[in-house]
Amino acid sequence: MKIITVCGMGMGTSLMLLMDIQAMAKKNGIVLEGEAMDLSTANGVSCDLAVASKEIAGNLNIPGAVIIPITNIIDKKEIESKVLPVLLELNSK
Amino acid sequence: MLDFIVQILSNPAITLGLIAGIGLVALKKSGSDVIKGMLKTIFGFLILNAGSGVIVNALIPFSTMFTAAFSLSGVVAEDNALVAAVQSVLGLETALIMVGAFLVNILLARVTKWKYIFLTGHMMFSFAGTMAIVLAQMGLRGWAAIVPGALIQGVSMVLFPAIAQPFVRKVTGNDNVAFGFWGSLPIVLSGYIGGKFGDKSKSTEDIHVPKSVDFLRDMSILMGLIMLIVFTVTAIFVPAEVRDSISAGQNIFVFSAIQAFTFAAGILILLQGVRMFLGEIVPAFKGIAEKIVPGAIPALDVPIFYSFAPVAVTVGFLAALVGGLAVTFLSAFLPVVVLPSVIGLFFMGGAAGVFGNTYGGRRGAILSGLILGFSFSLIVALAYPLVDLSSYGISGLWFASTDAIIVVVIMRLFGMLFGLG
Repeated sequence: MKIITVCGMGMGTSLMLLMDIQAMAKKNGIVLEGEAMDLSTANGVSCDLAVASKEIAGNLNIPGAVIIPITNIIDKKEIESKVLPVLLELNSK
Repeated sequence: MLDFIVQILSNPAITLGLIAGIGLVALKKSGSDVIKGMLKTIFGFLILNAGSGVIVNALIPFSTMFTAAFSLSGVVAEDNALVAAVQSVLGLETALIMVGAFLVNILLARVTKWKYIFLTGHMMFSFAGTMAIVLAQMGLRGWAAIVPGALIQGVSMVLFPAIAQPFVRKVTGNDNVAFGFWGSLPIVLSGYIGGKFGDKSKSTEDIHVPKSVDFLRDMSILMGLIMLIVFTVTAIFVPAEVRDSISAGQNIFVFSAIQAFTFAAGILILLQGVRMFLGEIVPAFKGIAEKIVPGAIPALDVPIFYSFAPVAVTVGFLAALVGGLAVTFLSAFLPVVVLPSVIGLFFMGGAAGVFGNTYGGRRGAILSGLILGFSFSLIVALAYPLVDLSSYGISGLWFASTDAIIVVVIMRLFGMLFGLG
């Protein structure tokens, strides 16, 4: 499973988001390949799941990918409640 | 043989690769992960160099055009491009200052009550490069630069988040995260001051912003457009008789449009490189810090605040652009013309909008953005004479991060007192 996280520069917030999600995946025994990137790059890749802040997510257009908008990017509970169910579902496929 | 080893170790790409490798080994990653991480770090660093070459080459003809048009020099404030451009000379110092600063940061977080761990990688890199440049100007190279550079940066990595925290708490409502960004001081101060003149009950978030401005979230588009405008306006004022010699016979407007887009493309290449090497180093830093400092508070990049008031981000950025442009027009009277520096104005202006909205609603957000944009550009213009970059073959670029510039000014004044540089 390939997931991407996206922010304006593709190296600050998105990297933190990716590390949170990777830690979450590891805890649940899910293996994933992840990359943090900026918006222009993100719209040219293929992946199973893309996670970004609400404003950035509205500009994402990746065919075939689940896109999860996060309202508060530093709220780990929100990230987990939105992302983990999707990770588990993708993992079971 | 010794020479061979020294040459390998003094190559910044290899040094950074080894640092990433040591970090990944310390985190007990698998052999393949360590090799992958080291190689990606090295590739990232080399891509960064390539991007900086593209940027510098686009800015050289632009600087010529600007001087021919206005008889003044103009600069874009962009740290990453600037620091990348000096890596062939100061690469080793930069890499080791960055790692040393990280160790100083961990030590301070471990023994003092300020538990902040600065995790914004590109900011660590640009600050380390800034230290290397400034110390070199004061006549210090090698270890004589690495040790003080790492100490100053390590202290800054705890001090600036600590100063910003009371304001941050007001926005986020808790102490779970801190502000790890070298524009924190002007952002929180603009927000606080701007907010004094506003009304907290009238939030920016009640304003309806049309969906069509959403494309502004895409940095590359925004930067391409602004640079196109800046380059085209400059081209209009280039005297007819020198046009051909600058553009080598090409139509000056076609030429300047291509140079503007080349500049933006160079930034994209550069950022891809930064992203690749930080993608390996930052997780290693974070893992190590969490093991050594219990209760560490991560100091994070500026967009963490955007979700608290997304509309204020747009409002703050547009106001900051106006403030920055005001300085551009005023700066015919200043040491250098500071051109609208989109990345800085966007990220800092947006955050100033959020803080301004917290303290004083709509009016607070607009005023904060204006103050931020104005002070951001003004500080660049005023501090410009303190660091001369022409010896590195760089024209048209200067430092952007206000916090780092404040530290640089203090260092230069301190240096003058003790007869350095």
